[in-house]
Amino acid sequence: MKLRALICVLLCAASTAWAENALKDVDLDSSPAALRRGAVTVTSRCLSCHSVKYLHYRDLLKLDFSREEVMSMGNLESALLALTPAEVSEQAYGRVPPDLSLLAKAREGGPRYIYTLLTGFYQDQTGEINNHLYPGIRMPDILGWSGADSTQRAALAIQANEAAAFLMWAADPRADERKSLGYYTIAYLALLTGLLYLVKRKVWARLK
Amino acid sequence: MAAMGVVEDQAMAESDEVDEERRDFLLTATGTVGVVGVAAACWPFISSMNPTLDVQAQAATDVDLSGMAAGATRTVAWRGKPVFVVHRTPEQIAAMAQSEGGRDPAPDQTRVRDARWLVVVGICTHLGCVPNKTESGWLCPCHGSVYDNSGRILHGPAPRNLEVPPYHFAAPDKIVIG
Amino acid sequence: MSQRLITWIDQRFPLTAFIKHALTHYPTPRNLSYWWNFGFLAGFLLLLQIISGVFLAMHYKPDVDLAFDSVQHIMREVNYGWLIRYLHSTGASAFFAVIFIHMARTLYYGSYRAPRELMWWSGQVLLILLMASAFMGYLLPWGQMSFWGAQVITSLFGATPLIGDEIVLWLRGDFVVGDATLNRFFALHYLVPFFIVGMVLIHLMALHHVKSSNPSGINLADKDNIPFHPYFTAKDLFGLGVFLIIFCGFVFFAPEFFIEAANNTPANPLRTPPHIVPEWYFLPFYAILRAIPDALGGVVAMTLSILIFAAMPFLDRSRIPGGARFRPLYRVVFYIFVVDVAVLAYVGSQPPGGVIFQIDVAATVIYFAVFLTLPFYSRWEERWLRARGLPPALQALLDSDTELRPRRETRQ
Repeated sequence: MKLRALICVLLCAASTAWAENALKDVDLDSSPAALRRGAVTVTSRCLSCHSVKYLHYRDLLKLDFSREEVMSMGNLESALLALTPAEVSEQAYGRVPPDLSLLAKAREGGPRYIYTLLTGFYQDQTGEINNHLYPGIRMPDILGWSGADSTQRAALAIQANEAAAFLMWAADPRADERKSLGYYTIAYLALLTGLLYLVKRKVWARLK
Repeated sequence: MAAMGVVEDQAMAESDEVDEERRDFLLTATGTVGVVGVAAACWPFISSMNPTLDVQAQAATDVDLSGMAAGATRTVAWRGKPVFVVHRTPEQIAAMAQSEGGRDPAPDQTRVRDARWLVVVGICTHLGCVPNKTESGWLCPCHGSVYDNSGRILHGPAPRNLEVPPYHFAAPDKIVIG
Repeated sequence: MSQRLITWIDQRFPLTAFIKHALTHYPTPRNLSYWWNFGFLAGFLLLLQIISGVFLAMHYKPDVDLAFDSVQHIMREVNYGWLIRYLHSTGASAFFAVIFIHMARTLYYGSYRAPRELMWWSGQVLLILLMASAFMGYLLPWGQMSFWGAQVITSLFGATPLIGDEIVLWLRGDFVVGDATLNRFFALHYLVPFFIVGMVLIHLMALHHVKSSNPSGINLADKDNIPFHPYFTAKDLFGLGVFLIIFCGFVFFAPEFFIEAANNTPANPLRTPPHIVPEWYFLPFYAILRAIPDALGGVVAMTLSILIFAAMPFLDRSRIPGGARFRPLYRVVFYIFVVDVAVLAYVGSQPPGGVIFQIDVAATVIYFAVFLTLPFYSRWEERWLRARGLPPALQALLDSDTELRPRRETRQ
């Protein structure tokens, strides 16, 4: 028991340091339709400065976009690259905007970080646009959150939610495949282990 | 060691026939399930050596035919393989139409979409070298296989004609291979 | 299989003799608990790591400009690449979990004592090789944590007196961790498992010579030994099944549990992440490193914290068999040690400073005190147990043990 407790403590220790308190709670909408809308938001808004370079336009076909829809966004074979060249962005913002392919995995809190960032813009006393999660952010308030009223914000929150869900998918496009294979694997292992238990008991019964 | 033998013998004596049968069935069932599982677990590893998705998706190669005079040959890459595109002269077309080829007979019209344009994969069907263009077709430098201007094997060790890749005309002067 | 073929082979290679020696006639104590399962599991994980590693190496590119991309290529474009990579990354953590339990079992039951010292020491070498392999493998994805982990650990060698800087430069082959470092770590990460396999063979040969220890801690009479096959093959395979269910739970449903978020950002030599921590299995040792404010002292303490296990056969002076089972004091100390290691692991994961540092120092002192006071309290404990009269169960075991009896009688 003590050893099991040790392992548990060790594992928990590895996952500490979650600086999540500042993040907004959000129920991520990962339905296929929401992912498609998120994809449209990201390709039409974020791609002006950010890339999603580990994703190709052909990958969007997996979200049940039609071939024509995807081809209207970009060449099937090209990666989702930023429209603004990196040097230009660097000059404008001081650094190259980060690639978004893995952002949902690279930030503590994952998609919640993205959602909180997108809906964290506000106008401070001097009239400057700032961000609660990332004070001094150089990125513009792309959704127009800071100037929106509460009804507009409800719509924008959905948009931010879908964009975050899409970026989570982009960071881990094989998640569905992985989980469904996981159910089969675990079911198989449970069967095999059950059988092995019977074999073990049967074999050991010979000793009594 | 001797004592271990005794334990075994005792165990054998104690277990009756029915028990043995049940155990055998259990062992066979478990062994079968186990072997199936190990075999299934091999598949991801084997599969990982197949072409990756990005390689598979290297679909089409566009070839612009404008500016290619009659008699000219171009070599383009399609999925990493050389593809010969030949603008055949009327004399060559006529000569090919009359011939059935050699070892692997095929009428010329089954090997082209437009008789003026011959599109074949430039890999010798013998051992994979790239044949060189000659006046009358191709000659493979490795083992001397000779192909005509329809890519058909005439003589030499190659067993088959040069492969025709899937392609279509996107415009009168543009083909898409793949 | 025809008997003729087996005879043909046996005349040329001791196949049947080997199977008899290692499996069907290999005498194994029948009272082994499931804690004795973990050596087999470690062997399984070694195999899994080698196979998955070879297939990853077919797609991985050890180049600073390509490494991160090639891992993403494996995750997204290679058929089942995500599965093979998650098996490998989760396998590394599972390997350490299994090895730590295997070691804890050895400590609890006193299996390191004569005649199994060479098994314990070959295991010690295996632990160090495993740590080296894990450390170098962790650089390969070339994420931020990979880079800064390697930067920090290679810097540790800078504490070497006189030639520290030269050694660090030599290890990296560059002024910082760079392309040369990545390439050599990849080469060595592929090489070290060969040494591990070799050392495992030595570990197993020693085992088959001295046979397994058992919870009673003394050599059992023949009647209490049973053949390894089929009894322990069945038991080990069942244990493997249970292990695989847990393992696959992580691989398929929480594969990123053991991967730091920061490692999903490509390495950037110009920017350290705000909070860098080593992998969980290095945390206790990392905490000991940080408990000593002096660079050289910290490195020495960390090295000693690993090597000191090798001294256990010398430090433990008690002749009472059965490890913690029949030794109440040793048992208490064992649990204190386990908790202490857990505390060190937690401390190692926290940002340094303040209370954390004080806990770190205290836990480090306890860690070493457990080992260094062992010669004294183990001898005292033996005297105390004998004066009080040994428990009847233990006395009966001792009476039945052929090796211990004459020695005990001469003492009395």
